[in-house]
Amino acid sequence: MRTRPLMTLRLSTASPQGIGSVPHGTRITFPIIGGSFEGERLRGKVLPGGGDWVIKRADGVLELDLRITLEIDDGALVHMTFEGIRNDGAPGAPYFRTLPRFETTDARYSFLNRLLAVGTGEISADGPVHRIEEIL
Amino acid sequence: MDSRLLMTMQVAVGGAQKIGAVPHGSRVIATIAGGHFEGPLLRGRVLPGGGDWTLLRGDGVLELDLRITLETDDGALIHLASFGLRHGPPEAIAALARGESVDPAAYYFRTTPRFETGHPKYAFLNRLLAVASGDRRADGPIYTIAEIL
Repeated sequence: MRTRPLMTLRLSTASPQGIGSVPHGTRITFPIIGGSFEGERLRGKVLPGGGDWVIKRADGVLELDLRITLEIDDGALVHMTFEGIRNDGAPGAPYFRTLPRFETTDARYSFLNRLLAVGTGEISADGPVHRIEEIL
Repeated sequence: MDSRLLMTMQVAVGGAQKIGAVPHGSRVIATIAGGHFEGPLLRGRVLPGGGDWTLLRGDGVLELDLRITLETDDGALIHLASFGLRHGPPEAIAALARGESVDPAAYYFRTTPRFETGHPKYAFLNRLLAVASGDRRADGPIYTIAEIL
C-alpha cells in the first residue's frame, strides 16, 4: 500500500463524559475543545465543539467515532470524521489506527473529498496525536 | 504506513438495482452472487446475498458501501463491511461502465474493510483496520486487502 503524509493532527480534549454501560459496551465521550493540524498541503486549527464518541467493547478494544471541524489557516472549513480502533492490549505495541474522511466545499481542498486515509494515533501528554496519511 | 497482505477477494456481482436519484446522489445497489477469497491466514468463499450500496455523488465520485458474509474453508462466518471511493478520468470511468478491462492504476478504487466474527480462530480480524485496492472487472471487482500494521 502506497501512502503520502497528509497531516499531523493534535487534539485537545475536555474531561471525558462517562455515559457508562450501554448495549454495545461502555460509552465514553471525549469533547474536543481545540487543536491544530499541519501538513505540506494544509495547516490550521481544530475548532472547539467536536468530539470522539468512544465505545469500549467487551473484548477490551476501544472503538472510536470522531467528528470535528478543521479551519485551514486561509479560512476554509473542513468537516472531518474518523472511525478507528485502539487496542492497548495488542501484542507487542498498542494498536491505535483510524480511517479519516473529509468533506469540504472549498475548491482548493476538494482533493480531500476524493481520498481515503489512514491515521496512526498515540496519546501524548497534551492529548491525542494522529499522523494521517493519504492512501494513494 | 506498514501493511501486510490479508487476502485477495474476488466478488461476483449479480444484478443491479437502480434506485435512481436520491437526496445524496444516484443510488445503485449491486447484489453479490458469490465469490472467493484467499490469503496467508484465511481462505474461503463469499456467500451470496450481500450487496454494494453504491452512491454516485454530484462531484462524480462513486461511494461504495459493501456488506457481505465470508465463509472460511473451516466453516467460520465473517461479516465484512467496507466503505470505499471510486473515481478517475472520464474516459476510464466510461470504459468501466462499458464493461471493458481498465488498468486499475488508471483510476482510484480504494476501500476500508472492517470485519466481525465470533470465531475465536479469526478474532484477530475484530481488532484490525485494513485498506483494499480494487480492480473493477466486467463480472465483479477483485480486491487486494492489506492489514494496516
